Amino acid sequence: MTERPSVLIPIRVLEGESIPDGVPTLLSDANVVLLGYHVIPEQTAPGQAKMQFEERATARLDELEALFEDAGATVNRRLVFTHQAQKTINRLSHEEDCLAVLIPDTVAEMDDVLVAVRGTVGIDRLARLVDGVFAGTGATVTLYHVAREGESDADAQTLLDGLADRLTDNGFDDDRIETRIEREQDPVDAIIDATVDFDVLVMGESDPTLATFVFGLPVDQVAEQFLGPVFVVQRERSESEE
Amino acid sequence: MSDPATGENVAGERPAPEPEGVTDETTVQGDDVELERTIGLVGGLAIGIGTMIGAGIFVFPGLAAAEAGLAATLSFAIGGVIALLVALPTSELATAMPRSGGGYYFISRSMGTSYGAIVGLGLWLGLVFASAFYLVGLGHYIVAVLAEVGISLAGLPVGPHVVLGLLFGAGLTALSVGGTENTAKLQNGIVVVLLAVLTGFLTYGVLDAAGVFGRQSVPQEFFSQGHLPVLSTAALVFTSYLGFAQVATVAGEIKQPSRNLPLAMVGSVVVVTLFYVVTIFVATSSFGADRLGTFGETAMVEVARDLLGLPGAVMILIAGLLATFSSANASILSASRSVYALSRDALLPRWASKINLKYGTPHIALGMAGGPILVLVATDQVEILAEVASFLHLVMYALICVALLVLRRRDPPWYDPSFRIPGYPAVPIVGAVASAGLIVFMNPASIVIGIAVMGGSYLWYRYYATDVKLKGDV
Repeated sequence: MTERPSVLIPIRVLEGESIPDGVPTLLSDANVVLLGYHVIPEQTAPGQAKMQFEERATARLDELEALFEDAGATVNRRLVFTHQAQKTINRLSHEEDCLAVLIPDTVAEMDDVLVAVRGTVGIDRLARLVDGVFAGTGATVTLYHVAREGESDADAQTLLDGLADRLTDNGFDDDRIETRIEREQDPVDAIIDATVDFDVLVMGESDPTLATFVFGLPVDQVAEQFLGPVFVVQRERSESEE
Repeated sequence: MSDPATGENVAGERPAPEPEGVTDETTVQGDDVELERTIGLVGGLAIGIGTMIGAGIFVFPGLAAAEAGLAATLSFAIGGVIALLVALPTSELATAMPRSGGGYYFISRSMGTSYGAIVGLGLWLGLVFASAFYLVGLGHYIVAVLAEVGISLAGLPVGPHVVLGLLFGAGLTALSVGGTENTAKLQNGIVVVLLAVLTGFLTYGVLDAAGVFGRQSVPQEFFSQGHLPVLSTAALVFTSYLGFAQVATVAGEIKQPSRNLPLAMVGSVVVVTLFYVVTIFVATSSFGADRLGTFGETAMVEVARDLLGLPGAVMILIAGLLATFSSANASILSASRSVYALSRDALLPRWASKINLKYGTPHIALGMAGGPILVLVATDQVEILAEVASFLHLVMYALICVALLVLRRRDPPWYDPSFRIPGYPAVPIVGAVASAGLIVFMNPASIVIGIAVMGGSYLWYRYYATDVKLKGDV
């Protein structure tokens, strides 16, 4: 039995956001960090919102917590009143040592999982997540890499095989691992195209660059197009970033 | 606090429970409830500087020069020193109790509910007076802008600046209730622009005064109006130094409070003091204090026109609009936070801090700020508004210093500030005496109104919340 990977699920708890169908089952082998959060405008003190909404939010979180526990997950819950949702999500993902943040969406079947692999950086966390969440299911995982210019097919295959080996070493069923290499100019478009045949997507968190300020984060672009749940594997945060 | 707040008010409401702990990034409430801290050092400085700079530079120079002559420079310096003497103790208390409510919170927890109620209600109303003062200033700037483009509003039954002040007061309140856009970013931007414009303008002004550009500055006597007006002017212009306490009213939302609170409070006082002193020096060198005094609230525009011609005047007009606008906006928001802090502690009805579901904003608390502000704007008493605002703040400042002395002497186990002021006990003692002393030099009318507000606050406490105990284990 592998260690349960911690997965953060942020839910806007007071705005009627709920857990889409299939997500509790998807996470039955995970340690779910259930983050109920409520974003308030700057004119309002967070404590003011707490005074008024805590009871309702807690009742709602109780229901959601039960959903995950019934499916078999362990649950760790937090309720946060905040002015900046992203700051809260980043902080909790770090504090609770979460391997990934889940952008929830309905999932009917869990047969085909696409795992987008960017490079060797963070591959350890990617492996731990895929193993922890999917080893105990019947899903086939497809390790997918978009080769960059000047990167040979052999290099790309080595990268994916390395990940596949780590999974099988942990006892992940060899027959349920496939690899796929793509060559296209833009990795984001390539991933979006590839997701058509899949139920669940796993991808890495992207570093904010200038381009992401203009076009938005690749993760958000992909999540917007893809109709299933997306696991965003968090990069390791150095102490200085705290 | 080790001793939880207890008791209930006449409506049967109890103070909300105290937080369990404070981290760099959150206030922890109960088992798994957290309040995220989202204001960084820059945000804190912007609140402090943004609130203060509007008054000292864009409203007071003319008024101060008329009263004290060139020695108005000294009046601003005195105000700055007193503000610094209070900002240091406030910083220490804020790092020990980084919770929303600022001075009110420190005083109610260390000296008890009655002092807390007087200071808390006084803080709310003090901010109301300050906002009204900024709005009248803003009105003057809009009138000046319109005059510059040839539109005259003369012929109205009341002063046009009052009408404009009322319009903007109502508009800002409505915007705070209904607006969900990121106002903090805007506020930060305004402060950066203001500081850049002022630095450029003042550098030129100082060089000019030093004769670099070959002009003669007006020779004049420093104490042209005598010595006493220096102190009464210091009392008047002290409204320019109220902003650092606003940083403490949002202490519960500041990230890394032990580091950022002292830096933001002391830093903003030092920055604005420098700007004020240089501004008055430049303004009086350019015209002479006597002539400057005749220009009233928008005297700086004439200074800029004299130094840099029409572009200079336009630049300072726009800067003045931004500055008075941001001061008024920040004060309305702080006033609403004070209402929340009082309502949390059952000194005001719980419904006063209710949040509406549509916008997620505290419409009642904002209305309790905006409503009385409009009444006060309509009075058009710039100097009285400024002085009453200062009076109510100075009472709080003096008590903050006393609260520090009380806590240091008793040294309760929960009192563990991460920032300890240098110069204890001299700094808080001088701070308390100077704050109280400045009140003596105000207009009798301002003193009477200030005492009436305090008396009213005390009576409200006796009627509404006699049984509420807020004092910690001191």
